[in-house]
Amino acid sequence: MSDPQVSPIRVAAIGMDQRQRNALVMLFGNHCRNRYILVEEDSSEICIIDLDLFGGERLWQEFRQRHPDRPLILASLKPRQVENGHTLFVKKPIPVIQLMSAIDQLSQILNNRAAEQKIEAAQNAETTPSEPQHPRHSVSPVTQKVASLMTEAQEKVFIGTSPDIDPDNQAQLAKIYYDPQHYLQGHVQQALNQATRYNKNVTIEGPWPAIDMIIAKQQIMVDAREKHLRPFCTVPDATREVELQFHEQHKSATGRREYSIYAFIWQLALWASRGRLPSGTNLTQPIYLRRWPNFSRLVVTPHALAIAALWTRQPRSLIDTAKSLGIPQRYVFAFYSAANAVQLAGETRRAVDTLLEPPAIKQAENRGLFSKLLSRLRG
Amino acid sequence: MSDYKIIFSGPVGAGKTTAIQSISDILPVTTDEQASDMTRKMKNGTTVAMDYGLIKLPGTERIHLYGTPGQERFDFMWEILTNGGIGLVLLINNQRPDPFGDLHFFLNAFQAFIKQGKVVIGVTQMDQADTPRIEDYHLQLENSGVKIPVFDIDARIKKDVSILLEALLYSLDPGLEE
Repeated sequence: MSDPQVSPIRVAAIGMDQRQRNALVMLFGNHCRNRYILVEEDSSEICIIDLDLFGGERLWQEFRQRHPDRPLILASLKPRQVENGHTLFVKKPIPVIQLMSAIDQLSQILNNRAAEQKIEAAQNAETTPSEPQHPRHSVSPVTQKVASLMTEAQEKVFIGTSPDIDPDNQAQLAKIYYDPQHYLQGHVQQALNQATRYNKNVTIEGPWPAIDMIIAKQQIMVDAREKHLRPFCTVPDATREVELQFHEQHKSATGRREYSIYAFIWQLALWASRGRLPSGTNLTQPIYLRRWPNFSRLVVTPHALAIAALWTRQPRSLIDTAKSLGIPQRYVFAFYSAANAVQLAGETRRAVDTLLEPPAIKQAENRGLFSKLLSRLRG
Repeated sequence: MSDYKIIFSGPVGAGKTTAIQSISDILPVTTDEQASDMTRKMKNGTTVAMDYGLIKLPGTERIHLYGTPGQERFDFMWEILTNGGIGLVLLINNQRPDPFGDLHFFLNAFQAFIKQGKVVIGVTQMDQADTPRIEDYHLQLENSGVKIPVFDIDARIKKDVSILLEALLYSLDPGLEE
């Protein structure tokens, strides 16, 4: 709360429109506790000019002609040299503390001037009593700092219901792998590699509805709905004959379903893996995630955000990830399969990643609050 | 009553006001006025002081949603708004002439949030301008020292804004339970 006995420093914003003035009023009133007040130029003690405004330089020159000695703060995105004791420059973005400090610094100049005038007045007329004056704010150093969740049915389709396995049990281990090359996933990945190499569009022909890959747009167009495509994605068939037709042009998008290549392969990998892993994946080797997947445009599997957050902090093995998060392994396997298919995730090759055990997950101070907010967002 | 806040920031026309509207439990308080300068070209109204929305949680806890002014000249407000915030939602308009310039400007202005991993980025208007792509943004962020979530979002869609906030929460605590 401001001290009612202390009069606020009167500040004017030269050339600023009502919106900028509103912002300053909020700043002075709420944050600076009425230590300063926004006034018109005529009644101001200190002024501010934003040099980045249209005509800002001219405003400055004209202001100086009107008020050669009035303290002034100049603000701009570009640094400026201002060689003048009563003009200060602050670079934008302006930290509040810096703005307050600049006003206080200029206010000190005013105090000094007032004191000099008083001494002069006293010297000139020693017998005349002066008017009582409200004290100024003392200019002490400013210390104040200033995608969608899956339904249960979808989860069965994408993740399956496989129980956790014991990594040392060979019989159980054999059940958690699949070979992407035996699924449509592998054919599409292969087509993408070649289309990228030749920089040409490609049509993937087989028993499924036509799939066109538009390489420049990183786009897939399909002549069928998902329910017609899914059977070709979930059933392995190493004997399928697949033909890749490369071409410059592509068919019109009218009536066709469009996907980003990335989202399409992600989805095919989830359908194919159903909570399993690409064959050969090492369960105990730490896994890296190059970057966060673009979750807003992907099928988001349960716990995918938690796994991504964990792996972007530090590589962890698949088994350790499930254990650390306290979740079934199939969720970790499904996410890895999808992220690996779009080349976002893989096994680390650096020796340093296997030297140290990853740290336990540190609980945030506000975990209770965050959990409530999470539930609310998922409504 | 316990009060917390999340900040929405970004350049003019990035969708801050709309994003807050999408997830707020109350009719958002907005101080949009008609822009009187070059920003009019981008957007009919531009945020003056700040936008405000609210998420009410069970019990007495509330999350205040603040949108920073879009115009750079109001940037001294940012520090006030961000002080003590849970995190920052940075929205970048992919249709602007220099979205990477915007990205770096705002990341520089909010360095404290970046260092603490308290930031998520939503790229808007990608249906109007499909480049730069999301992976290009990640390349720009490689030197930031943290892997920041970057999603292509439509600020009008609650689900899009929600998943950005979910990513923010998991970035802060991957052990959160669903």
